[in-house]
Amino acid sequence: MPPVRDAMANRGDDDEVCPVCKSSRYLNPDMQFLINPECYHKMCESCVDRIFSSGPANCPVAGCHKTLRKARFRKQTFEDINVEREVDIRRRVMQILNRREEEFDSKRAWDDFLEQREEIIANLVHGTDVAKTENDLQRYASENVRSIRANQALEVQEASSFKEQQTHEQELARLRREAAKQEYENERRELQASREDVLSRLAAGRPGDAAAIAREGKKVLLKKSSARRSEEDRIRQKQAALRNSDARKAGQTGNTADKADAAGDSGLIKGLKKIVTPEPEKPYDPFGGMVPNKRDYYTLRDFYPSSYLDPIRQDTRMQAGGYDLQEYYSRTLMEAFAGLGCFVDEEVTRRDDGDSLRSSRPVATQGSALAAVSSAGTPDAS
Amino acid sequence: MAVSPLIPPPPHEAKVTDTPKKTEVNSTERLLHNQNTIPFFHSTNEREVTEQLNDDVRHKYIKDKRLGEGTYAVVFLGHLRTDPSSFVAIKKIKVNAEYKDGLSMDAIREVKYLQELSHPNIIALHDVFSSKDQNLNLVLEYLPRGDLEMLIKDTDIHYGAADVKAWMGMLARGVWFCHENFVLHRDIKPNNLLIAADGEVKLADFGLARSFADPYLNMTHQVITRWYRPPELLFGARQYSGVVDVWSMGMVFAELLLRVPFIVGNTDLDQIAKICEAFGTPTEDNWPGVTRLPNYLPADANHTLPVQGRDFFLRQFPTAGPVGADLLMSMCTLDPKKRSTACQVLQHGWWSSEPKPTDKKNLPRKTDGIKKMGADLTRRGGDFDDNTTFKNAARQLKFTVARD
Repeated sequence: MPPVRDAMANRGDDDEVCPVCKSSRYLNPDMQFLINPECYHKMCESCVDRIFSSGPANCPVAGCHKTLRKARFRKQTFEDINVEREVDIRRRVMQILNRREEEFDSKRAWDDFLEQREEIIANLVHGTDVAKTENDLQRYASENVRSIRANQALEVQEASSFKEQQTHEQELARLRREAAKQEYENERRELQASREDVLSRLAAGRPGDAAAIAREGKKVLLKKSSARRSEEDRIRQKQAALRNSDARKAGQTGNTADKADAAGDSGLIKGLKKIVTPEPEKPYDPFGGMVPNKRDYYTLRDFYPSSYLDPIRQDTRMQAGGYDLQEYYSRTLMEAFAGLGCFVDEEVTRRDDGDSLRSSRPVATQGSALAAVSSAGTPDAS
Repeated sequence: MAVSPLIPPPPHEAKVTDTPKKTEVNSTERLLHNQNTIPFFHSTNEREVTEQLNDDVRHKYIKDKRLGEGTYAVVFLGHLRTDPSSFVAIKKIKVNAEYKDGLSMDAIREVKYLQELSHPNIIALHDVFSSKDQNLNLVLEYLPRGDLEMLIKDTDIHYGAADVKAWMGMLARGVWFCHENFVLHRDIKPNNLLIAADGEVKLADFGLARSFADPYLNMTHQVITRWYRPPELLFGARQYSGVVDVWSMGMVFAELLLRVPFIVGNTDLDQIAKICEAFGTPTEDNWPGVTRLPNYLPADANHTLPVQGRDFFLRQFPTAGPVGADLLMSMCTLDPKKRSTACQVLQHGWWSSEPKPTDKKNLPRKTDGIKKMGADLTRRGGDFDDNTTFKNAARQLKFTVARD
């Protein structure tokens, strides 16, 4: 947008003259200048009314062919129109790229994000790569609608809670001031009252008692003031405790809102925290991931004829003790097939690559243990 | 120790062995070994190599303070020389006067079976080495959170059915894994169930473990702490099976629910009497062949109790719920043939019924309360935690909410 800069070059004296209708403030002291963030050309209020009341029209400044709408004209905040424009751009970009500090993995990632955002703003302000930057920005905006909205809501909430806290604090300060004033007033009144009391007593009493009355009056005064002071201390402590608990409560409510937003890693911004969607709870596995009665190379039968085992089948005493030939079959077959499919070399290299404590495990590695469960056997079983 | 005894000793080296002290030889050897050159050996090379390997292992660990001492072993806290944060427990077996010509059976059993078993619910044996006076040292996993007995006895700790289920699950997995590899633990009780830093329960103390299922090999019946000993062992059975451990598990289960040991006999006979009282009198009807067991004592004929049904368990253990009571009943069946195996225990419906077992990191633990209290006391009044995520991160102006 080079015309903007050109227009700004010759500011100064003709500041007070509308560049469109050439009427000056001298003739029209109520003249107000308005700008439109489309092109930032300045014109007076009556020009805006005249040109744009009937609908969108082209900018009347020569060479500027932007179509402007009346609704978007506003007063300018900064004297320098360049600053005005930069602030507008900045606001728009920041509304889109409104990631928050707690969304990033590391300080480095957060800093990178801040730098990237500044770069985008600078590009837009100075007109470098505008098309591409705008494109990126729009794509990001459409991809992250939800997180942008969530963060906006958070910011609004924070701002309002901050404001609330401030007014609250002001109110507290006012109350404190009033209390102090009241206190001072009370003290003064009491002093006065006791003095009057002493005087009236002196007037009524005998001249010999004067010293005693004065002493007594002072004592009463002292007692009263010390009692008052301790009372005040108590109240003050109470108030301080109350304030603290208030502050703590405010802090807590601020924290709970933080967790609200969640969105994926976008293409534009790197280093965002991975969103941890809580895993769907798995049903409890009593076997802890292992498969019971899994046998790779054979099936276990209920009965194997053997004259060696026949005496045992008839021995009721062994049966009564719970001895189970099934366990014998199972063990015999397991040992017969033990080691098949186990490659000690592989396990040793894997073990040596592992961390130092695990590497020190002398025999049993995880692999051999699993193999043992699936009845393929431990590598060193004979 | 199969390191190449075939490599012939270099002739010029043979003379060196005669003169220098043994330690010097060891150090030079280690140096060479570390440089990955071919180690050369001396005339007494077989012994030297084993000593060398032992030294390598021994120097991997540093012993710190002593954690406890029993009649049979001393336990030290230790750590890896390379990494001071990796804790291990070093169990030094005392030289026993009874076993003048060798190691005690307990130590042999522990090493023999523990090195075969690698499972999350079984204490890991990292290394074994012998120290100066030929003491056997077992380098075990460091389990800092005490044992289940401590939790059961601590009245300040409250736990519920979900916690019991989680603990029992871990115990049953460990026992099942032992049995699957044909190892009987034979000493399951709450103070042999240690708790790791992450809350995992680990089966420890394999001093009474042995392999099983050999039909013509008698086993002793004098195993398992009495309160957890099954009736077939009390009756003197010499051949038994994995379900002896299941009975112990059942007793641990009952103890977890009641918070006191369930059947507390003063003698073996008393133990039998109390089991009969609790679960019913064993007879030929409910336990075929029981009268043939060596130490069977015929029960008083007019004092036989019927075997307890499900109602008894439900009444006795209301916290377990109906399904839990059913599982406990199957673990405490008198007849070992009818008792559940460890595998059947794990296949029971209780694990999938409500409540779900507590996640192991949320299980009640002892030190947690102290830590929490410490955190509370160190925080200042009215102070609350800093909300900013990163220290020294750039401050920024808020342009977005500044207006409208």
